[in-house]
Amino acid sequence: MGEETTSMGGIHISPAAIATLAYHATLESYGVVGLAPKNIAEGLAQTITHEPARGVSVRYDGENIDIDLYIIVEYGTRITTVADSVANTVKFHVEKALGMPVHEINVHVAGLRMSDES
Amino acid sequence: MSVDSARMEWMRSRPFDGQALKHLVEAGLTWLKTNQQTVNSLNVFPVPDGDTGTNMMLTMTSAWNEIKNSGEKHAGKMALLVAQGALMGARGNSGVILSQLWRGFARGVQENELIDAALMVRALAEARDTAYKGVVKPVEGTILTVAKDLATAAESALIETQDTIAILERCVPAANESVNRTPDLLPVLKQAGVVDSGGKGLFFILEGMLRHIQCLPLDAPLVTVQPLSSLNFDNAMLGVEEGQDYEVVVDFFPNDKFELHKFYGKLEAMGTSIQVGEGEGMYRMHIHLPVEKRYEPIDYIMTIGTITKVAMENLVAQMDEINAKSKGTKLELAKIEPNQIGVVVVSPGPGLSRIFASLGVAAIVEGGQTMNPSTQEILAAFENLPTDKVIILPNNKNIVMASNQAKEVTVKNVQVVPSKSVPQGLAAMLVHDPDGDLEAIAGKMTKALASVKTGEITRATRSVEIDGVKVQEGQVIALLDGKLVASTQSVEESMLNLLHKAKAEENELVTLIYGEDVSRGEADRIVDKVREIYPSLEMEVQDGGQPNYQFIVSIE
Repeated sequence: MGEETTSMGGIHISPAAIATLAYHATLESYGVVGLAPKNIAEGLAQTITHEPARGVSVRYDGENIDIDLYIIVEYGTRITTVADSVANTVKFHVEKALGMPVHEINVHVAGLRMSDES
Repeated sequence: MSVDSARMEWMRSRPFDGQALKHLVEAGLTWLKTNQQTVNSLNVFPVPDGDTGTNMMLTMTSAWNEIKNSGEKHAGKMALLVAQGALMGARGNSGVILSQLWRGFARGVQENELIDAALMVRALAEARDTAYKGVVKPVEGTILTVAKDLATAAESALIETQDTIAILERCVPAANESVNRTPDLLPVLKQAGVVDSGGKGLFFILEGMLRHIQCLPLDAPLVTVQPLSSLNFDNAMLGVEEGQDYEVVVDFFPNDKFELHKFYGKLEAMGTSIQVGEGEGMYRMHIHLPVEKRYEPIDYIMTIGTITKVAMENLVAQMDEINAKSKGTKLELAKIEPNQIGVVVVSPGPGLSRIFASLGVAAIVEGGQTMNPSTQEILAAFENLPTDKVIILPNNKNIVMASNQAKEVTVKNVQVVPSKSVPQGLAAMLVHDPDGDLEAIAGKMTKALASVKTGEITRATRSVEIDGVKVQEGQVIALLDGKLVASTQSVEESMLNLLHKAKAEENELVTLIYGEDVSRGEADRIVDKVREIYPSLEMEVQDGGQPNYQFIVSIE
């Protein structure tokens, strides 16, 4: 995964660690009410997962870090703006923590949650 | 500028209808727009950026556009229109939250033709609840907290009064207090010494509504006096308006009966870009005026105090000079043959563009710290070069990404040499060879990046504490390879601190590239100081013309 070399040896950062960073940043982002497990039968897309590695996928090809987020958005918010700000928040937090640039963040809106409309 | 108490008495205890709500929305928007820059300035790092104020203003503008031609009298229906407009135009995080607040408010009143005190309080609570539903882990110390505190203030006010205006009168100061408490809840705000920008924006919207009811003006920000040290007229040039041809700065000691409001009022009738500063009893006033009024502020200030100094400048002549300078000399870019390597650089200033051109770059994209060029602009710069081999030097860490994207979308063979600063870019250009092998040259250039240290000297746009260094707004700060190393009162001190931290004495060559707001004479003076302290060091001085940074320093 993310690698750096110091005078004493290498530092390896696992995709799971990056996924956890991205997961927490996502949940602090306004308009997101949860993450949905990726690769699941469509009918179940509304299930909210609490397992970072399931709603976030991280790829690293030796040069670039790419992150995919599967989010559930609060119904009634402007979805594109929410998605945009999630991407920004996650990029900021991950880059700050890792000190490595994030190449691409793809936001998949897996579902909408409708809070009790009375 | 006084509260129309008769009108207020008449309005008290009356529920308001759709049209009244419409006026309140307009007032909130107008006041937010007036104070937009104040909100924008609450960003969290001392380099100019941040646009919360603009995002919230655009969101409110979208809401206003939805209702401005509506004659709807039904308050609930009007509120739904506002919510709809805010949703459609929500910009940025704060804009989304603002639109959620409106959505909740509208949901609270949608069935009602008129809004009375009890209903207003319920709707504010609904607004709060709706906003909090939009996030799993609400961060306190933000606009959410302010929405919560003002709903609470409204609820407790309702125990004592059934008057809508009285409730608003309680909500506005409560929101203000809540905004002022945000640094206690959110450490990052405290460290930066600011309050939350979104919360402040929400406060301005509410205050605008109250000011409208009180018949107070909404088009001019509240008058303020800044400390003399933080007055900065450099940027005032950017705001030159047509017909405002003269800049006048007057230093004076006012008589005993100095009334700031009256003073501003008089000045506003004469010109624009008014700033007033004070230090140890002395006041400094800055204004832009049309030609025929250029002596009026001086005559007026004579009547209210003792003038110690007057400075007057012809802005039109200055602007012409600036324009002539930037357009003046045409750049001689390197002519590239097919099969040679063409280098594209991002340059933050006209002088730097000339330096890069003299080193043999084939294309230049203008941009830098506060204006990052898009992928598209970078692409456009090299698409027409008659070669397939291209090297990009972004010269800023924020532009590396866009450069990489440009590499991906083009069919040309592109290498990005990730230079994070101008000195790195210059160092890379020194090892460039247009006839070499693309990958080998790019590799050589990338290696050269590490051969220089980069110093930057700029002014803090507000007070902050970063990397353990305390910075006051307006102070000069020095950054070494992106890390804050000194904050001082003068550019000279910053420069000496910077060179000390960079261990300049162990290096051979120091190049000082001065920015657009430093004169050649000032640069020479500082160079002389540096020579005194580092006699064995070789020094070069270049006119970079970059904005914001007084000096960019290359140490190698």
